[in-house]
Amino acid sequence: MDVAKIDINSYRDLLKKYIDHQDESSLYGAEQMSKAFIKNHILPDEIVSLHIQSLMELYPSLSQDIQNSMRFLLETMIYYGLAHQEYQALRENQLALRSEISLAANVQTTLLKTDKPDIEGLDIGVISMPAHQMNGDYYHFIKGKQDSLGIAVADVVGKGIPAALCMSMIKYSMDILEEEAMMPAKILKYLNRVVERNVDASMFITMFYAQYTPTDNLLRYASAGHEPGFFYCAQTDTFSEIETKGLVLGVLPDSAYPSYEQKINKGDMIILLTDGVTECRRGNEFIKREEVLDVIKQYMHLPAQDIVNHVYKYFERLQDFQLRDDFTLVILRREV
Amino acid sequence: MDLSIDVVNERDKLIAVLVGEVDVYTAPKLKESLLFLVKKEQTMLEVDMTGVSYMDSTGLGVIISVLKAAKEHESQLRLSNLQDSVMRLFHITGLDKVIDISVSIREGR
Amino acid sequence: MEKSCVSIKIELDIVAARQLGRELAKQVGFSVVDQARFATAVSELARNIYLYADQGEISFDIIKNMNQSGLRLTATDKGPGIRDISQVMQDGYTTSGGLGAGLPGVRRLMDDFDIISEENIGTTVTVVKWKR
Repeated sequence: MDVAKIDINSYRDLLKKYIDHQDESSLYGAEQMSKAFIKNHILPDEIVSLHIQSLMELYPSLSQDIQNSMRFLLETMIYYGLAHQEYQALRENQLALRSEISLAANVQTTLLKTDKPDIEGLDIGVISMPAHQMNGDYYHFIKGKQDSLGIAVADVVGKGIPAALCMSMIKYSMDILEEEAMMPAKILKYLNRVVERNVDASMFITMFYAQYTPTDNLLRYASAGHEPGFFYCAQTDTFSEIETKGLVLGVLPDSAYPSYEQKINKGDMIILLTDGVTECRRGNEFIKREEVLDVIKQYMHLPAQDIVNHVYKYFERLQDFQLRDDFTLVILRREV
Repeated sequence: MDLSIDVVNERDKLIAVLVGEVDVYTAPKLKESLLFLVKKEQTMLEVDMTGVSYMDSTGLGVIISVLKAAKEHESQLRLSNLQDSVMRLFHITGLDKVIDISVSIREGR
Repeated sequence: MEKSCVSIKIELDIVAARQLGRELAKQVGFSVVDQARFATAVSELARNIYLYADQGEISFDIIKNMNQSGLRLTATDKGPGIRDISQVMQDGYTTSGGLGAGLPGVRRLMDDFDIISEENIGTTVTVVKWKR
């Protein structure tokens, strides 16, 4: 019994065989036929109709009551047929949507692409992984005059497609900035206006913006309500939280952002991240922020890129390989 | 985890008592309930967050949109009794500077 | 060409429309399954009138073209109309009934489907099923 035939003759013959012998092999045949029905999109009402027709051929003198009862059964199957068709159509839709989203994710990757710059004496590591297909986190490097480096790390409220759409807007606003001329605090002030004017009331973005100038080894930075990063001081071998004040982007039309400075000495590290890193959960418990530092310490002897890769792998495994939130981690280390 | 929202009428203000977690899944329900309350002109709404053990950025987004709607309708929004972890979130994002956050002891309870 | 119609005011009228539809389907020579499907489409459209437009009319014509005969069903009401037809024609969109129900279901049951609707003026759905 290779391919089950689903025409009236095959159904009738199989039915007859079963009625005569009540054998398991006929029932196995019925199972094969059932699979073939599904494969060929035969609806339940059509199967009932096939059954009625077979019965009538086998028992031309079938009682009227039984015939009526079969008609009744047929009627009750009509909506199952419709539901099945709708289910099929929705399934196809879902596949189409999924491939559309994956295309959109590719577009986003291209749009938001930023190259990790090569700067003499600065070791940079960066990783950004979306929880779903599209990333609501964003990082951006801008190389300016005399090897100065602008770094933005941002997180849009929520995740997925709405967050990703919003991020593209930020990227374009940053692209048209005359970045070299602007200080982090001023950039945030400008972006706040863009976000406030252009997004829904419940949308907001957090951003940390820093500018590093190798000529004086100074990091100037400002934050718009972003998850605080860490500063590692090589001399004292200690980590401290980068403390800032500043409202998230998009809430008030005229927010101002205080700017801060930090001298970066040899071996010092700047660790920037999004809350996808610090809000990892182990089961139902949140990890402590210090745990992130503990993991970084384990891999600190490695190049910056290896550190961020290892930290990501650690937390990915901790969460059973299912990120709950987009995860972005940037590490800068002054080498010489 | 789920979120329950109970609204209590107390003299000159409404108190929305939240219990549970405010995240992507519960945020839409919270947004709908709170927006409905502040859209009535000149409402004083206090959101009691004693029972909120977790809030994510979507939850903050809800609070921001409620704050904006409250301003539009000359209503007032106050958050009270935030747990430390939730308070930290408001502090980091700078929202504690633009939203009235207080510790209040509810009357008659 | 024959024409017959049922006006829909109360829920019982839905049953009357189904019955007339089924009789005509039999008369045209539809198979038992197609009779049931036609009756289901009648039911769905009549129910829409009953639920959303208070009253309207279901009419039937037996139609013939060169090589086949069929049955046309026209459902007319002067109800609130449908603002976004594309939306209600989408699978998964339904205000009542659930999986399989609604206008997408009617479209699947029939061979030809057309709908004209204007807000605050009314809706006319015209469907045809051909004899197989």
